[in-house]
Amino acid sequence: MSVLLKADGLAVTARLAGGDLRLLDDVDLEIRRGQIVGVVGESGSGKTTLARCVVGLLDRNVRVEHGSVTLAGDVVVAPGVDRTDRVRGSAVGMVFQDASRSLNPLMRVRTQLAEVLRRHVRDITRAEVRRRSLEVLEQMRIADPSRVLDSYPHQLSGGLRQRVAIALAVVTRPALVIADECTTALDVTTQTKVVGLFRTLVDELGIGLLFVTHDLMLASDLCDRITVMSGGRVVEAGDAASVLDRPQQDYTRRLLAAIPSWT
Amino acid sequence: MTGVSQLELDPTAAGTPPRRPGRRARTSVFWLSLPLAVVSVGVFVLPLTGLLPAAGQDLAATRQPPAFLPGGTWAHPLGTDKLGQDVLTQFVTAGRLTIVIGLVGALVAIGPGTLLGVLAGYFRGWVDRVISVLIDAQLALPFILVALAIIANRGSSLPVLFLVLALTGWAVCARVTRSATMAIRERQFVFGLRAAGASEPRIVFRHILPNLAGTTVALGTLQVGTAILVESALSFLGLGVVPPMNSWGSMLASGQDELSQAWWIAFFPGLAITLLVLLVNLLGDALLTHHDPRKARR
Repeated sequence: MSVLLKADGLAVTARLAGGDLRLLDDVDLEIRRGQIVGVVGESGSGKTTLARCVVGLLDRNVRVEHGSVTLAGDVVVAPGVDRTDRVRGSAVGMVFQDASRSLNPLMRVRTQLAEVLRRHVRDITRAEVRRRSLEVLEQMRIADPSRVLDSYPHQLSGGLRQRVAIALAVVTRPALVIADECTTALDVTTQTKVVGLFRTLVDELGIGLLFVTHDLMLASDLCDRITVMSGGRVVEAGDAASVLDRPQQDYTRRLLAAIPSWT
Repeated sequence: MTGVSQLELDPTAAGTPPRRPGRRARTSVFWLSLPLAVVSVGVFVLPLTGLLPAAGQDLAATRQPPAFLPGGTWAHPLGTDKLGQDVLTQFVTAGRLTIVIGLVGALVAIGPGTLLGVLAGYFRGWVDRVISVLIDAQLALPFILVALAIIANRGSSLPVLFLVLALTGWAVCARVTRSATMAIRERQFVFGLRAAGASEPRIVFRHILPNLAGTTVALGTLQVGTAILVESALSFLGLGVVPPMNSWGSMLASGQDELSQAWWIAFFPGLAITLLVLLVNLLGDALLTHHDPRKARR
């Protein structure tokens, strides 16, 4: 399996009124095709910054100091380099926390899907747009795709909306999908379904998935590898099972101990 | 204008089944548009029918009361003024100009105001700083002073009136649009659009502007009312519409000397301005409800 995404010694700094703040410090990350990599950490650990850095959507006062991000062998982010506009939406898709807010409330699902497709697929025909829109909704295991296509976001349930948001991210068949806390706003049952859906998508389409979450248990269920972050640094990285069973670092142990259990 | 703030809310109510959209909103839009349409068409069509009394002066019949009062005749249904000119005929021709002034006056203020507000709110940075300074500068100038300066320099004519309406109206529109845009651009779907590779102009014009439509419609209808009122005020001061052109504002101005002897000269245009502005504002509110697919489901 070839390396899809590679972050190498990535360091990112925010310039604030009170001085510089290091958001990411010497972060390494690797995702292969067909692999799900979980990035776990508490709020402020830098996991969202890492996700945004990959698509080049950092705030204006934030810049990359060292290191690089390469996508399928090409450098897309490095100090003074930002080629993310070439991959955004085409090679990399992104799913966000709250689907009710990540869809334009005034547009039908169909229009939103069509817009992404038209942007990234050259000379796509009307029929082809419809076919691919239906197809991607079917891939999302949506029972009634043509009804969903004609709906406005507010007419869909939370779980359906999140699936539409995922559909928007994968409709252009990107090689990498970044999911930023995308199950946090869902109830546990829906969460399980969405997580299962991700697994199927990764297996079926052979994409890579960067799964950002604060939920260590969820990550361990879904991911092949887990990277634990704290204070902008990677404190532990490895196979999901080994990180969970034999945490090497004190921080990971404390994270694990913080999970409530029945026993 | 409760609708503006509601438009900013998220559709958190999950799983609402699709219902037939906007029945009630559509009904009230219809019932509010109807009188406005009747009046608008009426003032343009009536003069063509030849049904109106002749426009000239008649010094033998000055200050005649309306037909429904003792001493009135159906030859002059709304009476006559101090020169014996028919009030109904004046009222209709003046209404024509008033409606044109209201619509065009609102457009010339809303157009540049919305555009500048969106640019400032979306791009922030130096664009925002420049536009915000302009807005503050404009709002700091007393409206009457601006109007006087321009009219003294350019004379009183319709284009000058529209220039005054644009200059005095754009800043409020720009400021409201700017803050509404800032609220929308922070919403996740805009970030999502950028993550999906959408271009900045596309985000602004295809996604931000339609989400602002509610605000713009509300501002626009308010601005129609404001334009009519501003024109009336200017005409009252002798700075607005000049004879032989006639608006409801200028009728009001000329009629106010006569209030004690012939109240009907000022009364009908005054009533018409009030009702027109009221209807236009109510229509704006109804359109707001009609436009938003989330609210249009009762």
